[in-house]
Amino acid sequence: MNAAVVALARPAVRGSDLVKHFTVGRVTTPVLDGLSVAVTGGELTLLSGPSGCGKSTLLAILSGLERPDAGRVEALGQDLRALDRRALQRFRLQHVGFVFQGFNLFPALDAREQIELPLGYLGLSRAQTRRRAEEALDEVGLSARRHMRPAELSGGEKQRVAIARALAKRPQLLYADEPTSALDSVSGQTVIDILHRAARLHGTMVLCASHDPRLIAHADRVLRMEDGRILADEHHPHPFPEEPSA
Amino acid sequence: MVALARKSLLYEWRRYLPASLAVAFSGMLLLVQLALVFGIFDSAAVYINSSRGQIWAGYPGTQSIDLGRSITRDARVHLLMDPQVAQVEPFQWVNGDWRGSRKLGSVSVYVSGINPAADGLVFARVIPAALRAKLYQPGAIIVDRSDLPKLGIEVGQSGILNGLRVHLVGTTNGLRALGGVNIVTSLATAVRLNAGGDLRPAYYVARLRDPARAAQVAAALDPHGAQRRYSVWTAQELAARTVHYWLFETGAGLGVVFMSFVVFLVGTVITSQTLMGAVAGSLSEYATLNALGASHRALGRVVMEQAAWVGAAGLAGGGLLSAVVLAIADSQQVPVAITAPGIVACAVLVMAITLLSGLLAVRTLRNADPARLLR
Repeated sequence: MNAAVVALARPAVRGSDLVKHFTVGRVTTPVLDGLSVAVTGGELTLLSGPSGCGKSTLLAILSGLERPDAGRVEALGQDLRALDRRALQRFRLQHVGFVFQGFNLFPALDAREQIELPLGYLGLSRAQTRRRAEEALDEVGLSARRHMRPAELSGGEKQRVAIARALAKRPQLLYADEPTSALDSVSGQTVIDILHRAARLHGTMVLCASHDPRLIAHADRVLRMEDGRILADEHHPHPFPEEPSA
Repeated sequence: MVALARKSLLYEWRRYLPASLAVAFSGMLLLVQLALVFGIFDSAAVYINSSRGQIWAGYPGTQSIDLGRSITRDARVHLLMDPQVAQVEPFQWVNGDWRGSRKLGSVSVYVSGINPAADGLVFARVIPAALRAKLYQPGAIIVDRSDLPKLGIEVGQSGILNGLRVHLVGTTNGLRALGGVNIVTSLATAVRLNAGGDLRPAYYVARLRDPARAAQVAAALDPHGAQRRYSVWTAQELAARTVHYWLFETGAGLGVVFMSFVVFLVGTVITSQTLMGAVAGSLSEYATLNALGASHRALGRVVMEQAAWVGAAGLAGGGLLSAVVLAIADSQQVPVAITAPGIVACAVLVMAITLLSGLLAVRTLRNADPARLLR
């Protein structure tokens, strides 16, 4: 049994009976209403649905960035509710990667430094940090652009740097929020391929929230959401693994 | 570790420039106002600083040179008994009332009676020997050129001082006093002007064979015991006492403290606003780092490091600015004086401005909430 199959055996993240409300002024709006979901490693799971359906909120709660009003979140066997802010930070540092719609790269740093920066907080040696950053750049196909700053990179390249920054930490859990919304179709295709490959190659759980219909064909599993509930849970078998990374 | 703080500062220097400038100008304002105040109040000690003696003997506990009272003539003998003392001369201090032209009414003046000899000590730095010699004429006086309009006379003309007719034999530069006009006469003329008063001098000034030993000699010559009838100071000591007295007597010292507080406040507001703006501009990047596990404390360290660099740059810029401004002031005869403790105090205040601003900017990081990146 290889690592990917082991990861498939039990869910990497499980949310049970999740309830979340948002209050604006005196109006309280339910966003999640008793939702339960389990996501496994080694595959790319897509949360799909119209904007406002609660997919970003679900992503925030499952990733430990936000706490649910009720319900339970278990990630890698840990009850996230039991962790305080500092412990959650520690958990995210060791196990979680994020890719956001806005690439959020520091303008002053070149591509490799963007990736090395969060690795510094893991307490890795200089040499290890450098090696991991180079590997991650290689994985997203940007080795040649390692010394370029965000201003010199295209939108798709920036998003690939952001993905490399998340992957270099070697997280078991990778969350991506609308990673392709700001990109043209070719760049979007590249980005989703990279995410898909990361899931297959490293057994990473990749959970991606997006209303981009182009992504559906590339996901292993699609969770269709509407009004804070999951309407459909579709598995898309991909019998042929995609090409290994260059 | 990637040097995020430094790289951001260098790459986005335009964003941080206003903060460094605010720090630089705060430093310059602090230093220049200090230099001006010390420069102005140094003139209270003009009698000491423009004289050649290293040792002064005066009434016990005198707080400022203009508050001197007559002392025993024994002091002269005691000073001369020390083998280190090469020369001693009296310094007469008389308060005067001047009447020049009728249009100007009367003016309060300080009369300094000095030894007119070519090797005289008092005012030796501002009255050259040839001019001093003219004081041998009975009733001769010398004043600062800038005081002529106040007295309403020209060289060669005369006026009434303490009821006695005196005539102006010459003018000089560097005699300006704080709060009155200095009139220099010979010891003999000063005694006549003080008719009916105490004829003994207020001070004795001594020149030492080795000026470097002033502190030791002053300490040895200062009579201890409760019955002492005079005190002995080094020239620097008496000058410092005088400046200190005027600083606090006039409230100028409090003014300096108050003004420093205002500069501190303004500097901190501008610097912190700039740093906060810089942090706010990178909030989503900081939030992403936090999402990836960097603690708020670690992010705060980045902001504090930036504040420290901004402060260092501002300190260097402020030092340069101050040097230029003080050089210009000095070249235009604006009285300025600066001391090492003054510079250190200003530098400490400037660093306090930047560190406080940095702490205020760190508070902005609270808004770096990664959940906000997921709308």
